[in-house]
Amino acid sequence: MIRKIYLIGNPNVGKSVVFSRLTGVQVISSNYPGTTVEITMGYLLIGGEKIEVVDLPGTYSLEPTSHAEEAAVNLLKEHPKEEIAVINILDSTNLERNLLLSLQLIEEGFPVILCLNMCDDAGHKGVQIDTNKLEAILRVPVIPTCAVTGAGIKLLIERIREAAPIPRGKLEHEERWKEIGRIIEQVQHLEHRHHSFREILEDASVRPLTGLVMAAGLVYASFKFVRFIGEFIINKVTDPLFFNLYQPVLERLTFHWQEKGFWFHLFIGDLINGKIDFKQSLGVLTTAPYIEFGMVLPYVISFYFILSLLEDIGYLPRLAILLDNILHQLGLHGFAIIPVLLGFGCNVPGIMSTRVLESKRERFIASTIISIGVPCVPLQAMIFGLLGRFGGFYVSGVYLVLFSLILILGIILNRTLTGYSPEFLIEIPPYRFPPLQMLAQKLYFRVKGFLIEAVPVVLIGVLFINILLYLKLFDIVTGIFAPIIQGLFGLPKEAIVALVIGFLRKDVAVGMLMPLGLSAKQLFIAATLLAISFPCVATFIVLWKELGLKDLVKSTLIMIFISIIVGGMLNFVILR
Amino acid sequence: MKKISLVHIKADRKCRVLEISGGTNLQSKLMNMGIFKGKELMKLSHIGLRGPVVIKSGRSILALGHGVAAKIICEVE
Repeated sequence: MIRKIYLIGNPNVGKSVVFSRLTGVQVISSNYPGTTVEITMGYLLIGGEKIEVVDLPGTYSLEPTSHAEEAAVNLLKEHPKEEIAVINILDSTNLERNLLLSLQLIEEGFPVILCLNMCDDAGHKGVQIDTNKLEAILRVPVIPTCAVTGAGIKLLIERIREAAPIPRGKLEHEERWKEIGRIIEQVQHLEHRHHSFREILEDASVRPLTGLVMAAGLVYASFKFVRFIGEFIINKVTDPLFFNLYQPVLERLTFHWQEKGFWFHLFIGDLINGKIDFKQSLGVLTTAPYIEFGMVLPYVISFYFILSLLEDIGYLPRLAILLDNILHQLGLHGFAIIPVLLGFGCNVPGIMSTRVLESKRERFIASTIISIGVPCVPLQAMIFGLLGRFGGFYVSGVYLVLFSLILILGIILNRTLTGYSPEFLIEIPPYRFPPLQMLAQKLYFRVKGFLIEAVPVVLIGVLFINILLYLKLFDIVTGIFAPIIQGLFGLPKEAIVALVIGFLRKDVAVGMLMPLGLSAKQLFIAATLLAISFPCVATFIVLWKELGLKDLVKSTLIMIFISIIVGGMLNFVILR
Repeated sequence: MKKISLVHIKADRKCRVLEISGGTNLQSKLMNMGIFKGKELMKLSHIGLRGPVVIKSGRSILALGHGVAAKIICEVE
């Protein structure tokens, strides 16, 4: 009687893709080890029976050496062995290393079924595996699959019930590797292949000189592409929709709206020269949708498109190698670049993925750096939108300030914090070219996630702000903070409203700055402050969950301190 | 036959692991990834002066932090 099915395997063998195929639950999968940091669950129907399927984080062995591995192994031992089935997913292109975990699972008496994934890739690389022979040697079902296309998944489901414990003596580590060597000799046949173009690229990207040239080119091209696609969507799709279609409808509505009182103020906002101005009116039906759909969404789409592409190709771990040296100065190792890059999309998944880092110290440094120095896409989109018209100088200026801040903060944290930062030890995946359909699915999944989280908050947020503004309740806060805002940062005192709203959502906060008519310098300071100061409430909650209350307070104090220093410095020293 | 740490081997050279001088956690970690005494490796590259070392072990490519690589002592022909 199977009550639970576990998916277990080495990192980056495609467990999450198999999981999505089995359960229909969409999860993010990428081409680097450690994409799955959470334990995901779903259901599979077998013969009318609903069975829970659990996707475990990748592990090389049943003797865990990191927290993620430990979590996976502990979960596996939660239920009696008679009530579970274990699908052990292997990378067919690298059978030897993957078999270690399989042997351990069989030795421990787990009912195992082997899923030889990526078998199409193995074929391309000249790796032939005799699955029948492997099945005969190990005495457990072996099914070749290609989860990306779905091949073999049906057979896998059909044979799950065949998983049963097999008596097998336990081996010592080195003995086990020798045994694996013997098995490989019998079941695997390698055809000699000439170096393909892909392999030449793989090789070049991990060598110092060619690697750096490729990295610089790719990072630059990615940035350009994100802007290009974003602007393209704005100019060709969203702006025409807003200005040619939506605005006339709204104008007609305002024309018939006789009494321009409280409700008018809430939904339409202020008329600028007698007309609706999407950037300045601040109404629930005007500025709120324009911020989300007209300014932020295009960049969310373009950013996640490029990020997903880089993730699935498998470039990111290579970037990690090249940046290892620099990140060491910040008390991190190269792999920390992945959480940081995810943080550029949204700080929440960025901070969650710091779980791939081993020590608490690294996680603290990385989370603090992300929440202070890494602006999320919505914030960046608004910075482009607002500062862009003053020229590229100001936009790159904000990035320069944030980048220097990350470096300085990291170096200081590294020098002052106790604890240790372990070294980097990761597997570099081969380049893979994802089917467009997979890429589109991932993009859809991420954009949908953004809309579900952002839209209600923005609409309700703007509504709430408008009520407070109408009742003039912000005046109290404005009065208290006026000396800091005006004296220290050189901003008009109304800007405090934006900084406070920043706690809710950064894009709305920048939106609040739009009607204030700020100068380029003031906008620069306000945008930088919004990036550094309090992260939005969602990030705050994740920080709390990941770091605990004590470290959250520590991180927050650092944040406040830095905001004051940087704001003051920019105002009095740098942009004087 | 020369006894030398993985850090000092030139790129594109083959070598055999003689000993791993790190703690048990590092040893078992490397063991789980298929690197142990007697294993044949090939060094692919070395990034910067104190940067990571990239090696090929069997069919996998691994990146090792400088400190880890320094603890893997190998012999080269």
